Amino acid sequence: MKPTQRILILGALVLSSFSLSAQPPELLFTAAAFTKAQKNSSIPTDAGIFVRDPEKGWVPFGPKIQQVASAAVDPSDPSRIFLACGNGIVRSLDSGKTWRLVTDWRVSDVTAIVIDPTNGQTIYAASGWGIVRSLDGGESWESVDQGLPEQFSRTIAIDPQNPRRLLVGTAGGLFVSDNGADSWQRVTDVPAVHVLRLRHGVKQPKVWLAVTEGRGAWRSTDSGKSWHPTAPAVAAANLYACAVDPSNAQNLAIGGWGTGVYTSSDGGKSWQHRPTGLPSQNVLTLTYDPSTGRLWVGTFEEGTAWSDDAGQTWNGGGLEGSLTNDLGFLPLTPVDRQ
Amino acid sequence: MALAYQERREELIAGYLARTDPADLDRGGLHDVAVNFAQGTNLEWARARLKALTAKPTGAMFWMYPMALVMKAGAPHLNDQDWAHIREAWRTYFPYRGDTENHWLMYYASLYLAAEHWPDLPGSEWYNGKTSAENRAEAKEYLLKTFQITSAYGRGEYDSPNYIDPYVSAMALLASWCQDPELRHQAEMMLNYDLLDFAVENLDGVYGGAHSRIYPKHAVQPALAASTSLAWLLWGQGEMQLNGASLLVSLSGYRPPAILERIATDREEPYVHRELKRTRWRMRHKGPDAIKIEGHDTVPVYKYSYVDPDYLLGSSQGGLLQPIQQQTWSMIWHEEEPLGKSNTFFALHPYYSELEGTMYFGADWDTVVDLIARSKVDYNSPDKLMSGSPHEQIVQHESAIVGLYDIPAGTQFPHLNTFFSRDLTNRVEDPSGWIFAQGGPTYIAYRPFVTGEWRPTDWTGLLAGGAGAWISSGHTEWGTGHQVYVSEAPKNGYVTQIANVSDFESFEAFQAAIKALPLSFALSPQATATFTTLDGATITATYGETPKVDNQPVDYANWPLFDGPFAQSARGSNQLTMLHDDTSQVLDFRQSTNAIHVSPAQR
Repeated sequence: MKPTQRILILGALVLSSFSLSAQPPELLFTAAAFTKAQKNSSIPTDAGIFVRDPEKGWVPFGPKIQQVASAAVDPSDPSRIFLACGNGIVRSLDSGKTWRLVTDWRVSDVTAIVIDPTNGQTIYAASGWGIVRSLDGGESWESVDQGLPEQFSRTIAIDPQNPRRLLVGTAGGLFVSDNGADSWQRVTDVPAVHVLRLRHGVKQPKVWLAVTEGRGAWRSTDSGKSWHPTAPAVAAANLYACAVDPSNAQNLAIGGWGTGVYTSSDGGKSWQHRPTGLPSQNVLTLTYDPSTGRLWVGTFEEGTAWSDDAGQTWNGGGLEGSLTNDLGFLPLTPVDRQ
Repeated sequence: MALAYQERREELIAGYLARTDPADLDRGGLHDVAVNFAQGTNLEWARARLKALTAKPTGAMFWMYPMALVMKAGAPHLNDQDWAHIREAWRTYFPYRGDTENHWLMYYASLYLAAEHWPDLPGSEWYNGKTSAENRAEAKEYLLKTFQITSAYGRGEYDSPNYIDPYVSAMALLASWCQDPELRHQAEMMLNYDLLDFAVENLDGVYGGAHSRIYPKHAVQPALAASTSLAWLLWGQGEMQLNGASLLVSLSGYRPPAILERIATDREEPYVHRELKRTRWRMRHKGPDAIKIEGHDTVPVYKYSYVDPDYLLGSSQGGLLQPIQQQTWSMIWHEEEPLGKSNTFFALHPYYSELEGTMYFGADWDTVVDLIARSKVDYNSPDKLMSGSPHEQIVQHESAIVGLYDIPAGTQFPHLNTFFSRDLTNRVEDPSGWIFAQGGPTYIAYRPFVTGEWRPTDWTGLLAGGAGAWISSGHTEWGTGHQVYVSEAPKNGYVTQIANVSDFESFEAFQAAIKALPLSFALSPQATATFTTLDGATITATYGETPKVDNQPVDYANWPLFDGPFAQSARGSNQLTMLHDDTSQVLDFRQSTNAIHVSPAQR
């Protein structure tokens, strides 16, 4: 690298950190329901978004809602927070102090939500009944299912290099849109089975992972244009979780029902089984800490765990009894529940 | 002689008041609170309970609708402090809207009334951040749309002896206290519609036939269901049982139309009654028969009931029509006092699967069965007494039913459970393969195609341990002493024929008549049967094919929404005509601006 390039990059980093100086630090969050203690009841004992406060540990964030699947924060304005809920989409415009259900009865069972990094007014959400889009910051929503033979979806992602390009995992396979969700086309490399989770790299945004119900994990290194099977040991597993290390996309992790965690340090060429020390082999969620590379895992009702050595050893992370629908890092500041 | 409606209302209210213990500040739900506020009794206790039940609300819509009842029926005795507690709960408690039809009706009916009570509050005063006007508009739109769908294509959670409670509760709340004339009128019609739906399949106040959802307690002792309490209140049938919907109706100003009582109680002549319903919305695995209504996948449910003064035999076509508690067919027989009697007969394939769970719920493949069984603990039990099955096909003609099964290898439970009540008498296993029994004024003939074995119903203790907690209370009274005939084979089937005791000189004569009926069946390559009924009709059925009656294929394509002597409604019509003798009354839900989108259009 030439010295001038180094200066430019350094300058950009300084500018970037300056412009984001008001942004709160990214905290580990989970969308969880405490189902283990349910007895003769369909209602979890607690539910909602929980964030891991550096001092207090896991604390609830936002309204206590029975069914919350995920959360998103506007990259250009961290005070704008969206929750994907059974009731619809719940939004805060003041960093979580107040909330509003911004969808009506037509939108429910929302599973995932993403915000255009270049335009916070454009928001997409996956749900049990299809994909919805807002072009006005969440004030109004429209169904955008054209080309989707199956509406049920639990994962959606924006191509970080092209915010008009989206990928969505549905019960009928992986689909791509090149026009901001106006229409969808099937990605035929991936089998037409339920795609359960999609993740991509940050520093290496062309690296994508997709995991499926019964057909294992799939990897792409060209922004999801072509896909190839990976992790053959779990090629027939129901895989609910995958993660790409934001700082180094050579580090990958996948996990599923009865599989424990598999990690790769060579971009998916080889995988290591890392089950020892996990609170459960039923893995639902995975994420990397963007600042440290620590790998976090959420299990079915047996809590979370973390590893600083790519899963060779695991440490208890709390939230015992919870079913984690999502696990990730967002710039959230804990606010006392009302 | 039955008490008049007004007297029954007062008796029920008095029953609720009598169970209030003003010294016990830890017991009593919102229904109890509401009735005490409404009557101005035990007010100190009611205030304490109201404060407790608004401090940390739970139960989502099951909290919302009795809270709406407190607000409306109890208004004359609520003081400022009471209202402050209620207001704060509506501001802070974010209830889940639920995952099924009864949840959504309770949620939006209650929300509408609350938003109407405080008509001009800003979003900051509501849990969901919407203004009073926004909440009212959304709730009204949802409710009217639901009425449209129901009156055109039937309920998704149809004919449930238990879940008629929330339907009636939600509609009675609106019909009695909603200030919006359009919504109030439509809700009152919907309440009459749901009650008519019950009345036409009612025998002595017991909800008969095929049910979308039924709990073990109600499957085994049908008169324990909420529907029977309503039948007592509204039509004077059976005995009083305390029930939330009945209380709510009693506290409301609702007056049922007289024609409903005549329909519910006129059992002079036997009749065939058909209905078209639909499954709950299917999220995944929608299947080849799915149609789309308003963007949601569903499958038609073809219901057929034969209602005789002595019994009611009703069925649906089989298949996965509901996720958890389906009763595909059942027979109930007349009892002068049905409460305490297990006056029912039914068979089923006990089935559960991840496929079924994910068809109707958003949970994952590997967790859905476990999570369902947290509240429906018999869901994955081989002993369960209600279940839909994708490997089941049922055809009924009047008093006879043919059931056929093709259970693939690897299916969790490859057997059929046929319920034989402790209240059956004269049970005989005939060398011919027929099993004969008498239930009250009816004879039952059951011919399993594969010989099975007898087991007690409660050998696992499962029902005693839960199956929905409150719904299984009193298990020793209703759940023991019965037997189940368990027949295990991948291809299987049976014939059931019901008859009136009064039509035969003796039990032996009935048996002889049945054994003389032409019956042929085979289990390979597919289960198939041809049976000539006591009435002379011939049912021909082969698994996977459209069944025939007297060589005519059953016409599912033209199955009407309601078709019987007491009710007529064409598919898609949004109109239901209630009939009795020369009297008729039309429930007309047509609206100029609320078309329902259905695809494919020919369905």
